[in-house]
Amino acid sequence: MLTPYSANELFEWLLAEDDFLLLDVRNEADFGRFKVEGPHEIDTSNIPYFDFMEEEEASVAKVPRTKKVRVVCAKEGSAMYVGEILEANGFEDVGYLKEGIVAWGNMLSPRKVDAGSDGHELWQFTRPGKGSLSWGLISEGELTIFDPSRNLDFYQSFAKAHSCKITQTFETHLQADYISGSRFLAEAVGSKVFANSGDFMGASFDYTPVKDGEILPSSSNGPQIEVIHTPGHTPGSTCYQIGGKYLISGDTVFLVSLGRPDLGGKAVEWAGMLFDTMTLKIKTMPADLKILPGHYIEWSEAKEDFLFTDALGEVISANASIYDIDTVESFTEFIKSNIRKQPDVYAEIRKVNAGWLNPEDDEQSTMDLGKNECAASAYAAQQAS
Amino acid sequence: MTDYTADQVLDCKGLNCPLPVIKTKKAIDAMDSGQILKMVATDPGSKNDITAWTARTGHELLSGGETDEGYVYFIKKK
Repeated sequence: MLTPYSANELFEWLLAEDDFLLLDVRNEADFGRFKVEGPHEIDTSNIPYFDFMEEEEASVAKVPRTKKVRVVCAKEGSAMYVGEILEANGFEDVGYLKEGIVAWGNMLSPRKVDAGSDGHELWQFTRPGKGSLSWGLISEGELTIFDPSRNLDFYQSFAKAHSCKITQTFETHLQADYISGSRFLAEAVGSKVFANSGDFMGASFDYTPVKDGEILPSSSNGPQIEVIHTPGHTPGSTCYQIGGKYLISGDTVFLVSLGRPDLGGKAVEWAGMLFDTMTLKIKTMPADLKILPGHYIEWSEAKEDFLFTDALGEVISANASIYDIDTVESFTEFIKSNIRKQPDVYAEIRKVNAGWLNPEDDEQSTMDLGKNECAASAYAAQQAS
Repeated sequence: MTDYTADQVLDCKGLNCPLPVIKTKKAIDAMDSGQILKMVATDPGSKNDITAWTARTGHELLSGGETDEGYVYFIKKK
């Protein structure tokens, strides 16, 4: 029987290293641009659905009969189409991804990072389709979200399941690689948006500007949130320290590399700001501070229980080739050598995140699809591999 | 995009994949070699799909692009 499966189910199978063939039936160009990734190697095959249409027998023969088949397509129609062909050819365990690759691109999966003795809880929300992370802090029935994506349904059901109310969201910077959910959550549930006016000045929606050094509450008696201005990736980039123990580091500090400062078209100027941030702020923070970054580049960065967090001291040693750079000139050279073109859609996404552009839901979905390109050294790593 | 005189017009507006390509194949199969099919779709996914499908089958994609009508394709049967 042809059975539908959800993006969350697919993710759980990937985490558990379940044995199946992931059959992607999109055209090669779309498959090449964006595919399903997970912490372990995935047995993936790309056979476009029109191959099954043109040469059914030869295409079916390419699909192994030894394991279950999970079909993926753009929206779900072509996966059902191919699934039915496979079933008619005697395949017994075939499933299709509900709502297609878009559902995978938007999917968020929650994992608990920590729970404090005072009852607060810290959560990681992984978005494997983007390689991005948002973070949630629950305290006294209130949920603070850092860098929410536009999957409002997820955050709302999460809040309901944990009997809490989404009261505030914090933006670490004006995102260019995905559409932020902050202003949409504000409209939907009345949560307050906090953001740095260095990035958000002129935004079309209401937000509360944050100031360097300011201390804000997560709830009346919950952990405190300290605002630390860390310009570089963008001029308004901001980290949030939670309870002196965690650092929501946005696109400033990643577990591998730093956030690239060339996305705004002022690479030299912003590289200078990032160098100061790195030397005068990040490197002077306590070594045991746990970094909670806005992105990962590879799944190999995940620690125990698929959590993307590590102590700052470890992060600095692991990235010594960057953190050891001691002059702004050499740092700028390093940045320059890693500059690569950013996806065209980033300019549009920035406008959506500032509220200047309001595309239809479908269009937002398309803009929002695909993996991030935010780390400074990904290009070099790709060239080397 | 360039317009061509079509021998047949196929309306795939409002349909999602795989239907635009399935219907295009069916229409082309019934046509004579050298004839031109105009296909109109609203699914943005049709862009890469029609390009890849014509490349695979050898039918010639004479032109394709976004117009007020939707995504319009002129395909010449091989």
